[in-house]
Amino acid sequence: MKLLVVEDEALLRHHLYTRLGEQGHVVDAVANAEEALYRVDEYHHDLAIIDLGLPDISGLDLIRQLRSQDKTFPILILTARGNWQDKVEGLASGADDYVVKPFQFEELEARLNALLRRSSGFIQSTIAAGPLLLDLNRKQAQIDGTGMNLTAYEYRILEYLMRHQQQVVPKERLIEQLYPDDEERDPNVIEVLVGRLRRKLESTNGFKPIETVRGQGYLFTERCR
Amino acid sequence: MTLRFRRVKARWGSSLRLRLMFGSVVLAVLFMTALLPLLRSAFLIALEQTVEQRLAADAGALISAARTDDGKLTMPSKLPDEEFDIPDAKLLGFIYDREGNLIWRSRSSWGIAFDYLPQYDGGGNRLLRIYDSKGKDFYLYDVEVDLLRGESAAFSIVTLQPASDTKALYRGFTTQLYLWLGLALLLLLGLLWFGLTWGFRSLRGLRKELDEVESGNRERLSDKHPSELLRLTGSLNRLLDSERQQRERYRHSLDDLAHSLKTPLSVLQGVSEVIAAKPENREQTRILQDQIERMSQQIGYQLQRASLRKSGLIRHRVPLQQVVNNLCDALDKVYRDKQVTVQRQFDPWLEIPMERAALLELLGNLLENAYRLCLGQVRIRASIAQGICELCVEDDGPGVPVDQRERILRRGERLDAQHPGQGIGTAVVKDILESYEGELFVEESELGGAAFRIRI
Repeated sequence: MKLLVVEDEALLRHHLYTRLGEQGHVVDAVANAEEALYRVDEYHHDLAIIDLGLPDISGLDLIRQLRSQDKTFPILILTARGNWQDKVEGLASGADDYVVKPFQFEELEARLNALLRRSSGFIQSTIAAGPLLLDLNRKQAQIDGTGMNLTAYEYRILEYLMRHQQQVVPKERLIEQLYPDDEERDPNVIEVLVGRLRRKLESTNGFKPIETVRGQGYLFTERCR
Repeated sequence: MTLRFRRVKARWGSSLRLRLMFGSVVLAVLFMTALLPLLRSAFLIALEQTVEQRLAADAGALISAARTDDGKLTMPSKLPDEEFDIPDAKLLGFIYDREGNLIWRSRSSWGIAFDYLPQYDGGGNRLLRIYDSKGKDFYLYDVEVDLLRGESAAFSIVTLQPASDTKALYRGFTTQLYLWLGLALLLLLGLLWFGLTWGFRSLRGLRKELDEVESGNRERLSDKHPSELLRLTGSLNRLLDSERQQRERYRHSLDDLAHSLKTPLSVLQGVSEVIAAKPENREQTRILQDQIERMSQQIGYQLQRASLRKSGLIRHRVPLQQVVNNLCDALDKVYRDKQVTVQRQFDPWLEIPMERAALLELLGNLLENAYRLCLGQVRIRASIAQGICELCVEDDGPGVPVDQRERILRRGERLDAQHPGQGIGTAVVKDILESYEGELFVEESELGGAAFRIRI
């Protein structure tokens, strides 16, 4: 998933960037609201983690601006005060959950995963589509109960397509899921990865959930639950 | 009796308008009491002068009718003033010689005897009050005559009239005087009440504005007050502004402090988690993380306490429904997957005598506990009876064992280590309640879980 982290403290920002990256997310980590607004305009994010105590525009104002721009991705706020006035204001202005500083990374991760599941309409930590079962916590896929041998990139593409089932996902969106913005991008890599993924899905019982929509992107046709 | 007197005294003493009214009534009554004898004596003097003038005119009529013949007085059989000739008439006439011997009396005086001896001493005339043998009161006018129709003479001409007529007149005047003075007093009091009400209208306006400031509906007092009050309202406005600015500065400082202390702690927490990945560092990391947790709790607890100090000027009453709705909206978002049902059992207009931030913190902590631990049901009950507000937050969760109820009210105590949170919630609730002289009870709910009951 592509995440936006807005935190002014460099060390904490770096820590979040590293730990979330290790969990298989592509992280856009910025220090202030202005940069965050620019990134949100440029890229498609799946979730944002926003510190309330930002130096230029406050975190609350940033959330309001994002919501006024019809950005619907879930927002998790980080708050130092932890008082209810801030939490209520944050949640009322458009955030979906909060974590009080200092936090254990496991707590942040659990809340973040819950928000991602909820935003794609899944309550459980697994997504099932026909014979395919995706374990979001373990980041593993099974077909007919047998574990699939997917690379990290293949898993990310599969998870993203399943979360956005019945929707055409452009290649650029999938590239954003794989690479941070400053890395070299090659649309052919996506075609290669999707091709490999299809082969692995079809190899057992001919399961073909991914269709190519010419000139537009990919479509996960199987209904997920 | 003494208690009643004290209550009346306190009531009268507490109102400036009543004090002024009371003072004015006392002054008006004293003034009229002093005025009354003066008016009465002035009336009496005027009355006696009128009587004297009338008796003098009657004496003049007698003098003009009298004749002397060789020094002997003769009076005509019919006098010009008929009243002298009518028996039992009210006008009496007597003529005495120089030695005080009665030499003539009018028909009207027949049957009336009184003891009077005129003194012919050149003193001119005088008015007296005398009583006849039956005790009847008369005004007597005595005038000395030394010349009668161009001839020398020496007579005392005495005319009388009963004082009873003037007494009736005097009584009538006194009654009228009392009546008019009473009415004037009432009118004065009415005008005074109206004047004071009009004069105090500006004070009532000031009181209304102060009520609005205290209830938080107005930030400062207006400038639309009489010049005598502008100094006071100006000072109050400066005080209000200064308090507001101080509170804002204080809040911002606390925000900055929280941010500047807790963000480095978050970094330390993150670093410790990285270090913990190596098995040989686990013990040291555990100690490090314990200390971070402890520092975080201390900072959170002390900051929350500091931010919830009561305002000195503003008397807060917060609508419970609004705060509950705000909190439930927020918590419904966080615990969306749980689909919690919240029963609100309180009057929609119920107001809690607390500052909004304090009530938000208090209910936020209790409701978050309830949302986190419940199976799916939360109940909020509230009522106010005899000035005591009772608020209860219940859930259908596991509840709090009896032997651990006291312990969870202490700072940093957590019975649910598997759930996120910093474990200072109930301790903060207790602290807030202590500052409002309230109490917190942990009980068992009918729903099956815990019931946190508050009395303020």
